[in-house]
Amino acid sequence: MPIFSPELTKTIEGFLTRYETKRSSILPILHAIQDEKDWISDEDIDALEKNFGLSAVDVREVLTFYTMYRQTPPKPYRFEVCKSISCWLMGANDTIKTLRHEIEKAEKEGRPLPFEIHGVECLGQCGYAPSTLINKDRHNNVTPEKALQLLKEYSAKELPKAAVLCATNLAAKAQK
Amino acid sequence: MPVIKNEYQGRKPDEFRILLGLEGYPDSRNIKTYIEKSNGYKALEKVLKGGMSSEDVINTVKASGLRGRGGAGFPTGLKWSFVPKGPGEKYLITNFDEGEPGTYKDCYISEVTPHSLVEGKIIASYAIGAKKSYIYIRGEFHNEIRWCQEAIKEAYAAGYLGENIMGSGFTHHMDVYSGAGAYICGEETGLISSLEGKKGQPKLKPPFPAIKGYLGKPTVVNNVESLAVVPWIINNGPEAYKKFGTEKSPGTKLFNVSGPIAKPGCYELPLGYPLMRFINEDCGGLIGGKKLKAIIPGGSSAPALTAKECENLTLDYEAIAGAGSMLGSGAIIVIPEDVSMVSVLENLMDFYAHESCGQCTPCREGTGWLYKISKHILKGKGTKTDMDRMYSIANNMRGKTICVLSDAAADPARAIVTKFAHEFEPYLKG
Ligand code: SF4
Ligand code: FES
Repeated sequence: MPIFSPELTKTIEGFLTRYETKRSSILPILHAIQDEKDWISDEDIDALEKNFGLSAVDVREVLTFYTMYRQTPPKPYRFEVCKSISCWLMGANDTIKTLRHEIEKAEKEGRPLPFEIHGVECLGQCGYAPSTLINKDRHNNVTPEKALQLLKEYSAKELPKAAVLCATNLAAKAQK
Repeated sequence: MPVIKNEYQGRKPDEFRILLGLEGYPDSRNIKTYIEKSNGYKALEKVLKGGMSSEDVINTVKASGLRGRGGAGFPTGLKWSFVPKGPGEKYLITNFDEGEPGTYKDCYISEVTPHSLVEGKIIASYAIGAKKSYIYIRGEFHNEIRWCQEAIKEAYAAGYLGENIMGSGFTHHMDVYSGAGAYICGEETGLISSLEGKKGQPKLKPPFPAIKGYLGKPTVVNNVESLAVVPWIINNGPEAYKKFGTEKSPGTKLFNVSGPIAKPGCYELPLGYPLMRFINEDCGGLIGGKKLKAIIPGGSSAPALTAKECENLTLDYEAIAGAGSMLGSGAIIVIPEDVSMVSVLENLMDFYAHESCGQCTPCREGTGWLYKISKHILKGKGTKTDMDRMYSIANNMRGKTICVLSDAAADPARAIVTKFAHEFEPYLKG
């Protein structure tokens, strides 16, 4: 299986000519890879060097500096709750605690949920605290009750395409 | 103390809309609404077709007294005038890396009126002679990235961007560039490094970006709000702008309020507006009628002010600096009586320890230790010596580093440790 889909290859090629320097395209390219595959693997970095002439060292510098890039396979939904001052004042810790508790409980009962919970820094929605992101969806005023409701809603959805591809790739790798 | 001009006394915040005039319109982000309801792109026309030279634009903005709305408050027109004249590539970059806890005004601008930003950017680019500009925007802002991209696309389609705009001979291209989760990219040199595809670590100044910025070329970095207000100033003239605000802080500014307050939100106010009137009347006071303990007036980097210090304070650069804090991004964080300042300190230091880029020892070590010690105290394991230790660490972090993140952690820490020392006592072992 080729490492990047034809669409992703095209996107990468587009980025390489869009900016003044090739190097400037590293951040957008990493975003694009992650959007398709859910995380960025060593093989992806090698492919960027071999197929597109981007230095692996330059790519790694960016990958390890910015917190939005994932270097290990994630769960299908990343539930990120802002824990900075305004959200914290409005009870973000309770939201995080409730979510963690619910997920552990489900795990113990043998029905694992497709979520990871992260406390993150300010999401720029401080007036609608606590603010959260589930993958790219923003939800505001997320009280513990609303958070549990969101877990239910997202659990009932079909998994995102990137998560499915991520799981398929991992299974294929395990077989080798 | 500067007082707001009498003609504004008694008026409500929604009567001061310069920038947020489109608030409430259903399709406010649409170029058609912007053109029809907000004099959209008239300022650009005035500049490009009305024969204004780049000097004229810079002088108009200088005369308006507009100060950078990102936090530092540096005069915008003056910043533009530092860019060398003549041929050669130059860049304009909008700093939309809004990540300071408490601050959400730039997001709101892109939600309500993204075309003000696009138009302001084209005008500013004309003033400094930049053929290319970027909106550097936080990666987490998925909606805002889309809104900015759509506005740019509409502006291209309408002929306000591209080659030879409105037959004026001026060519300009604009793009959006998304960051990837690093607060430090909000610092202009860190932002430039990030746009170059590197770690977003700040650089020593000088050289300043106006001389040596993006790819070594002259570059101006402006906050979203500073640029978005430029079309209004060009349309209405600097004198009209100066009718708002105080003598040294003219114009209006966006203030965003957060914390347990009845009506949190983003408000446009003339600078010099009375702080407590704003909190108690316009924002409806604290939730549940709680008493106010403290206010952080300008985003989490601003030292907290006690409720007493807030009495009679006005919202402008000078008054807040006079009270020992700063207006910063205009983000007001409200802290009620029942929240312990020890935990406020721990929360703030957690943030800065996480976001220090690690280049400078005083910042890397200092933010880490302030966080560790405050956590230690919060657990009831601290001693009086720890209080002195925090104070001395904070002192050693000030003014000794490449960028101001170190000060942004040290100043709030010092303010809390000294002004609220009594709150720490019950936590200390002796
Ligand atoms: S002060 Fe802190 S954030 Fe700024 S450059 Fe130094 S280490 Fe990095
Ligand atoms: S503090 Fe939570 S969104 Fe800003």
